[in-house]
Amino acid sequence: MEPKSCSGDGNPSRNLHPSKPLMAANFLRCLSRIQQTATNSSVGSRSRRIRRAAYASMAYSAGHRRAWSWALLRKLRCRRVRPVILPRRPRIARPQVVIEIDRAEVLRKLVPGGTGMDYCRLLEETADYIRCLATQVRLMQTVTDSISS
Amino acid sequence: MEKERFFGVNWQSMDAGMPPEMNSGAAAAAADQLPNSFLNLGWEQPMHHDVHFESALSSLVSSPSSNAPAGNDSVIIGELIGRLGSICNSGEVSPPSRYQSTNTSCYSTPLNSPPRLNLSTMDHQQQGRGGVPVPGNQMAAGKFSPFAADPGFTERAARFSCFGARGYPGLGGQFGLPEAGKLSRVSSSQSLKAVQLGASDNGKEVPVSEPERPETETRSKFGGEAEFGNSQEASSVSDRMTAVGAENNARKRKAASKGKAKGAPLSSSNMNPPKPSDGEKSDAKRCKPAETDGADKDAAVKPKTEENGDVGRKQGEEGNAKPPEPPKDYIHVRARRGQATDSHSLAERVRREKISERMKLLQDLVPGCNKVTGKALMLDEIINYVQSLQRQVEFLSMKLAALNPQLDFNMETLLPKDMHQALGQLPQQVYPLDMASTAFSYAQQLQGTPLQSLVTNSLDVQGSLNPLESSLRRPPTMQLPRLDGFADATSQLGNLWEDDLQYVVQMGLGQSQGTTAFSSQSMPVE
Repeated sequence: MEPKSCSGDGNPSRNLHPSKPLMAANFLRCLSRIQQTATNSSVGSRSRRIRRAAYASMAYSAGHRRAWSWALLRKLRCRRVRPVILPRRPRIARPQVVIEIDRAEVLRKLVPGGTGMDYCRLLEETADYIRCLATQVRLMQTVTDSISS
Repeated sequence: MEKERFFGVNWQSMDAGMPPEMNSGAAAAAADQLPNSFLNLGWEQPMHHDVHFESALSSLVSSPSSNAPAGNDSVIIGELIGRLGSICNSGEVSPPSRYQSTNTSCYSTPLNSPPRLNLSTMDHQQQGRGGVPVPGNQMAAGKFSPFAADPGFTERAARFSCFGARGYPGLGGQFGLPEAGKLSRVSSSQSLKAVQLGASDNGKEVPVSEPERPETETRSKFGGEAEFGNSQEASSVSDRMTAVGAENNARKRKAASKGKAKGAPLSSSNMNPPKPSDGEKSDAKRCKPAETDGADKDAAVKPKTEENGDVGRKQGEEGNAKPPEPPKDYIHVRARRGQATDSHSLAERVRREKISERMKLLQDLVPGCNKVTGKALMLDEIINYVQSLQRQVEFLSMKLAALNPQLDFNMETLLPKDMHQALGQLPQQVYPLDMASTAFSYAQQLQGTPLQSLVTNSLDVQGSLNPLESSLRRPPTMQLPRLDGFADATSQLGNLWEDDLQYVVQMGLGQSQGTTAFSSQSMPVE
């Protein structure tokens, strides 16, 4: 696999961005750790940890040149310090009036670090994020398949 | 002749043969500081030949109002304003350049680089192109100081800017009043320079801006102009300015700004080809959607801009059909036939092209997007895909958690020998405090190891478990010692951090701390 292409500049990187070996190694390491340290945890908490491990390894392998990986790492790091408990305001039932869906906003919410980015940059980060996500999904799929087989 | 002194080649080369030379000459004379640049103010005869620059300025101001001939006055004024603005904004990156009135670009260039003024090599095209960008940026605020002292000057400049700014309604809001005030002052000084710099083509292109423009607007324009000043657009604008046209303010605006910019760059471009690049660099927006070397652009613009405002530009362009200057840091955009060529639309076009290019990339990534056309639908598909991927990650993580008990044993078999070796090395590297750097270096080495091939193979082949199966069949005994070491390492790691994911994150973060490269990287805005 070609090395991770860190094109943090404005040029969209057409190379296969994620470095799979690195991601795989990270993820497997995380998995083993989780498995060792939390053998008695519930499935739910373990799955949450695994999910976080997946995102962390993904973000880590992406490096700091991408906005989304950086935002993701920051989020994970802060999350690590203390669990994020956002006070939930009681939701007042309001007539749902959706005049127009701002798709860019929706995308911004999906992609970590999407806020505060102009549209052009957002598209670029989305492409990178999709690449990494797809790689991570494939990696996890492979692992589960190999385990379950 | 005074004009020769000031305008140099530009002046003479100007097709329009600006009569205002006298005026400019007077102005030039008045302003000693103004370099002899080609300040083709193209002021009309009405311009009084006041030796005193201020008086000349006032006349300039008044003349446009009194008689707005083909708009030469306005062009000149616009130029001045642009120059002033450019000076003010030297290096300032204004938000979407499109908002910046072209005037400012025109203005900025001449003002920004007084040294350029000497260029008067008049090719206005060349100068327009190269010089414009540079001068804008070059013009440091410092230049303002000498001029700031003249309040009357500033007033006149402001008035000039008003003229020029007339065409630019949108600019006012950009820079704010306080800045505008500063700009006006500067612009006044700049305008003087600009007048002198006037590049011949500037003279031709009378700033279209009408005098009504409020000062603030003018200022904002300057800010914007400065941005553009360097751009070739300015040069093209200057061409347009010559056209004078009367046409729509918007058109005039653009023309004026471009013309001015061109004027300045024309003279300066010859002198400092590298400067425009500097100027350009400073201005992100400058990447000149505008374009291609000024000359090219002008040529391209000319055919298109047949319109009122454009006509002037065209004329200017034609005269300057010169070989394009080597673009420095511009994003050269070739304006196609029938497309608008003002700085705003060019910047927008560049932006649109960037966005469409990214959308194409995304289309390749997201499966099943080939049939979808339209940005909204594409975005919908992209959003759905991202959401589905995230859901898949969640689902797989749950699955893995459920399979956890089997993980321990399977980890050994999962890791191929090579991979295991590589991983085994990692803990040793990781544990030192310098783990971040070592981990990073390890990560880099990782790609070259057989592990890479193994993992790659396993991952690349969709659903193919052959590599993993082969590893499964491997006798675990060989790997056990290593695995134990690895397991110990991981457990140790686990002891170090409370969170199981921390070490991954720490590695990433540690890298950022330990590696200057990371820290030096500009953190993407979240």
